[in-house]
Amino acid sequence: MTQTHEAGTWLRREGAALRRPLRRAAALSALQALALVAQAWLLAWILNAALFAHATLRTCAPALLALLLLAPLRLAAQLGARRVAHAAALGWSAAIRTRLLERTRALGPLGLRAAASGELITRLVDGVDALLPYAARYLPQTLTAALVPLLLAAAVLPADWISGLILLFTAPLIPLFMGLVGSAAERASRRRYAELSRLGAAFIDALSGLTTLRELGAAEGVAAQLADDGEGYRRATMQVLRVAFLSALVLEFFATVSIAVVAVLIGFRLLWHELAFRDGLFVLLLAPEFYAPLRALGALRHARMDALAAAAPLAALEQAPLRSPPLAGGAAPAPDAAPRVSLVDLRYAPDGRGPVLDGLDLELPAGRVTVLVGATGAGKSSLLNLLLGFAAPQHGHVRIDGAELTSLDLDAWRARIAWVPQQAHVFAGTLADNLRLARPQAERADLDAVAIDVGLAAALTRLPRGWDTVLGEHGEGLSGGELQRLALARALLRRDARVLLLDEPTAHLDADSARRIGQVLRAAACGRTVLWVAHRLDAALAADRVAVLQDGRVAECAPPADLLRAGGAFAALHAAECAS
Amino acid sequence: MSASPALLRRLLGLLRAQRTWLWAGLALALLAALGAAGLMATSGGFIAAMALAGASGAAINYFTPAALIRGFAILRSGGRYAERLVTHEATLRALADLRVWLFGRLIPLAPARLAALRSAELFARLRADIDALEHVYLAVLVPTGVAAVITLLTFALTLATLPRAALPLLALSALAGVALPAWTRRRGAADAAATVSEAAQQRDLLMDALRGHADLLALGADGAQRRRIDALARQLDARRARLDHLQGSGQAAAGLAAQGAVLALLLFGLPALAAHALAPPLLVLLVLLSLALFEVLTPLPEALAQWQGALTAAGRVFALADTPPAIVEPAHPAAMTLPPAIRFEGVRLRYADAAPWALDGIDLELAPGARLAVVGPSGAGKSSLIGALLKFHPVQQGRITFGGQPLDALRGEDVRARIAVVAQRTHLFNRSLLDNLLLARPDADAAAIERAVHRARLDAFVARLPQGYDTVLGEGGARVSGGEARRIVIARALLKDAPILLLDEPTEGLDAITARELCTALAEAARGRSLLLITHRLAGLEHLVDEVAVLEAGRVARRMPVSACRATPAPGDAAR
Repeated sequence: MTQTHEAGTWLRREGAALRRPLRRAAALSALQALALVAQAWLLAWILNAALFAHATLRTCAPALLALLLLAPLRLAAQLGARRVAHAAALGWSAAIRTRLLERTRALGPLGLRAAASGELITRLVDGVDALLPYAARYLPQTLTAALVPLLLAAAVLPADWISGLILLFTAPLIPLFMGLVGSAAERASRRRYAELSRLGAAFIDALSGLTTLRELGAAEGVAAQLADDGEGYRRATMQVLRVAFLSALVLEFFATVSIAVVAVLIGFRLLWHELAFRDGLFVLLLAPEFYAPLRALGALRHARMDALAAAAPLAALEQAPLRSPPLAGGAAPAPDAAPRVSLVDLRYAPDGRGPVLDGLDLELPAGRVTVLVGATGAGKSSLLNLLLGFAAPQHGHVRIDGAELTSLDLDAWRARIAWVPQQAHVFAGTLADNLRLARPQAERADLDAVAIDVGLAAALTRLPRGWDTVLGEHGEGLSGGELQRLALARALLRRDARVLLLDEPTAHLDADSARRIGQVLRAAACGRTVLWVAHRLDAALAADRVAVLQDGRVAECAPPADLLRAGGAFAALHAAECAS
Repeated sequence: MSASPALLRRLLGLLRAQRTWLWAGLALALLAALGAAGLMATSGGFIAAMALAGASGAAINYFTPAALIRGFAILRSGGRYAERLVTHEATLRALADLRVWLFGRLIPLAPARLAALRSAELFARLRADIDALEHVYLAVLVPTGVAAVITLLTFALTLATLPRAALPLLALSALAGVALPAWTRRRGAADAAATVSEAAQQRDLLMDALRGHADLLALGADGAQRRRIDALARQLDARRARLDHLQGSGQAAAGLAAQGAVLALLLFGLPALAAHALAPPLLVLLVLLSLALFEVLTPLPEALAQWQGALTAAGRVFALADTPPAIVEPAHPAAMTLPPAIRFEGVRLRYADAAPWALDGIDLELAPGARLAVVGPSGAGKSSLIGALLKFHPVQQGRITFGGQPLDALRGEDVRARIAVVAQRTHLFNRSLLDNLLLARPDADAAAIERAVHRARLDAFVARLPQGYDTVLGEGGARVSGGEARRIVIARALLKDAPILLLDEPTEGLDAITARELCTALAEAARGRSLLLITHRLAGLEHLVDEVAVLEAGRVARRMPVSACRATPAPGDAAR
C-alpha cells in the first residue's frame, strides 16, 4: 500500500514537468470545444430556420459555409492538442529513461545489485514504456475533463439555464459517485494488477525452468497448474470487475439519464412555448459532448494503473540509499605502463553488513603476478571491486604508482584494466558482438586468434552460425566453461590494459584446459600488473607472489616457495589439496 | 505483409473456443451503441415534434417518444455495463487459453530449440500477442461489427425518408469506416511493425545496461551502450510520433467525413422540407443519428494504424510456437521394459548439418545397478551425451537402446521418468520448498518427502528455514546458497525414485567442504540404483563409481575400473 502511495507521489512529482505542454494541449482542447459550440449553434440555427422560417439553401448558405469552415479549425485544434501532448510525453519518458541510466551509474554495479533484484530490473525496464500512454493520453485528458465540461456549461447556461443547471448539477455527482464506488474499485483493480503480475512471473518462472520441468516429467503438470491459476484468476477478476465496472456504470448512467432528462424537459418546454427550438436543439447537441471527456477519462484509467505499477520500481530505485556508492574519480591521467598498486589499511563493509576487509595491506609489484587465495566469502571479489572502483573503501587507501585512486580519471583507469569476472554478462547479440564489446575495432582475424587462445574454437564450430550466433539469456548456447572462455577472450582483446584482474578464471574448466589457459594468461601477464584470485593452487605455485586472505586481512604474502617452506596458512592449504 | 489474412485467420482460430463469449460481447456492444444512437436520434426527433406541435397548437402523443428515450437510455447504460463485463470475460478466457496453448507448444522445444531465446523475450512475445488479441477483438472487430450494423440501419432509414442523401451518407461512412482505416493501416504498417521489434530490442539493450552494468563499466563500453540506447530510442520515438500523427490525422479525417455527412443531410434535406417531401422532425432525427453513427466510425482509422503491429506481434509468437521440436515422438510408443539397461551403439550426434560431430561414434553400456563415471575435458561431448540420453537431442547415426528397446520407439517422457537428473544447471522455482520438491512426484506423502530430505542431508537446512517447507525459495532459488540448492535438487531427484541416477558435474562451483558433504548425500542417493556420473574432474567423487569411461573428442577412449584410474594419473584430471 505504501509502495503504491510512494509511486503515486513520484508520478505526480514527475508529471509536474509536463505542466507547460499539458496547458498548451488543454488550451487547444478548449479551442476545439469553442469551435464545437459554434458548430452546434450554427446547426441548431439552420435547422430552426428550416423548420420554422421556411429557409432555403440560399438563405442558409452563409451558415452552411461557416459550418463547413469550422470543421477543419476544430479538427486542427484537436490534432494539435494531441500532437503537443504526445511530443511532450515522448520527451518526458525519454528523460526518465536517461535518469534511470544515470541513477544506475550513480549506484554502481554493487549498489544496483543491492537495490534491485532481477525481477525488479525486469519491471524497471518494462515500466519505462508504460509511462508513455499515461503522459500522452491520461494526463491531458484529466485537464480536458476538467475544462471542457465547464466551457460547455457556460455556453448552455445562457441558452437554457434549466438544462445548464442539470448538467452542472450532475457533473460533480459523477466524480463523487465514481469516487465512492471507485475507491473500492481502485483497490480491487490494484489487487487484480498485482495478481496479474504474479501470474506473469509464475509463467516466466515456468518457462525459465522448462528444461528442468521436462527432466522431472513435470511439464504437463505445471501446464495444468498454469491453466488452473489462469481460471482462478479469471473468476476472481470477474468478481472484482462486476463491482469495479459499477463506477463506469454510474458515469454512464448519469450521463445517459441527464441527456434523457434534458431532452424530455426541453421537449415539454418547447410544447409550452417556454423555450426556442434553436436553443433547445443547441443544448441537446451539446449535452453528450458535456459528458464525453469524463467518459474518455474513465476509459483511460488503465493507463494510470499501468503507470502506477511502473512507477513503483522507478521510485524505489531513485530512493534507494547510496550506502556504498562507487568510487568518484578525479581527473589525473591513468598510468601508461604497468603500475605498482598499493592497498593500505583497507576497511570495506558492503552495505549493511560487517566488514569483509578489515585492515588489509597488500602491495602488487609492477609487472608481477600476485595470486590471492582464501576461503569462499573471504573478500577476494570485494578486493577486485575496490580496484575497479565499483565500491569505495570505508577506510584506507588504494594507490596507483603512489597516486590515490580517487584522484584518477576512473574511465581512463578502467581502460587500463582487463577484468575476468566470475560470471561474465552475456549481452543480447551475437557471439562476435559479445567479444567486440571489449574492443569495438577488433577484426574477425583478431577474434579468431583470441578464440584459439582461450579455446573457444570448438564452440565456434559447434554453434550453427559461428561468430554470428545470437546468444540467449545466461549464455545458453554456451556451456559454463565456454562462458568462462568468453570472459577470458574479452580480457585478452584489451591489449591496452596494463592491469589484469582475474577472478577465478579457470573455475569452470577441466584440468587440461585450465593448464592451457593458465599458460595463455601467464603470457598475457607479461609486462602487466596482475591480481589473480585463485581457487586451485596450481596458479599460485607459478605466481611471483602469493597472498593469503584470512579474516579480512592478508595473513601472509611472499613468493610461493617461501610460503611453502614457512609452513603457514598457504602450506596448509597446499597440503589439503594434495590430500584430496 | 502479405500473410496477414492467414495470420488473422489463425488468431481468430485460437479464439474459437470462446466464440460464444466473443459473439455475446459483440452483440452487447451493438445493443449499447444502438441505445446511444437511438437516444440521440429519438431525442432530436422528439424535441422537433414538440416544438412544431407547440407552434401549431396541434395535439401530440408524447408518451411514446418519451418512453423510447427512457428505453434507449437504459439500453445504453445497461448495455455498456454488460458489454464491458462480457468482453472482459471473453478476453480473459481467450488469454488463459492462449497462455496454456503457448506453454504446451513450448514444452517439446526445450531445451534444444529454446536455447537461443531469453525467457524475458519469450514473455515479451507472449504479452505482445495478448495485446494483439485484445487489440484485434476490442479495438477492431467489435467496433467494426457495430459500425457496420449502425451504418446499414442509418442507410436504410435515410433511404426510406430522404433517398437522395442515402448514397452520399453511405459513401462518407465508407470513407470513415473503410477507406481511412485502410489508409492508416497501410501508412502505419512499416512503423507499427518496426515498433514491435524495436521496442523488444530496446528492452534488451536496457536490460543489458542494468544487468551487465559491471561488465560495461569495466570494458569501457558503458557510454557506447548508452549511445546505442539513445539512438534506438530516438528512432523508436520518431516512429511512435509518426504513428500518433497518423492516428490523429485519421481521426480528424473521419471527423471531416462526419461533418460532410451533416452537410449532405442539410443540402438534400432543406429542399425536401421545402417540397414537403420530408417530415421536419425526421430531418433533425437524421442529423443526430448520423452524428451518433460517426461517433462509432471515428475510432476505426486510429485503431487500424496499429493493426500491423498487432499482427507482427502475433506472427512472432506463431513463428515460435511453430518451431518444429528437435525430437519427433513415436506415434505408437513401445511399452517400457525393465530392467533399464542403457546402451549407446556407435552414436553420432551433431547440432547442424555442417557442424563437427559432438558425439562421434560413442559405444557405452550401463548395466542395471552399475555405477559408471564418464570423464572428459570440456568439449568432449559430455552434455551431448546427456541430451541424447534424455531424448532432448536427436542422434543422427547409431542408436541408443533403453531396456533393450531403441530410444526412437520410446516416448521421451517415459525415458525421462526413469532417470533422475542432478544437473549442473537446474532451475529452482520461485515457490515453496515443498512445491519445488513435489514437482518430481506430485503425489509424494510426507514420509517420502522426509526420507528424501534426510537422505539428501537437507534436514538441518529445513529446520533453519523460517517457514520450513513452506518457505519460498526466491527467484531462481535466490534465497538459498549454491550447496543448499544442489542438495534440494538431489532431494528432488531422490523423491522421483527412478532406477537410474544421472549426475552432471554435481559438485561444480562448490567449495571443498560443501562438496565433500554433498558426496555423502550422493552416495546415499545412489544406493540401489544405476549411476551415471558425468564430470570433467573425478577428484573427490571416485568412491561413487566402480568404473570410469574416458570421453575424448566425442568417443569413448578408454574404460577402466576406478581403482586403475586412481593408480595411474593418466586420464585428464582424474587422479589429481
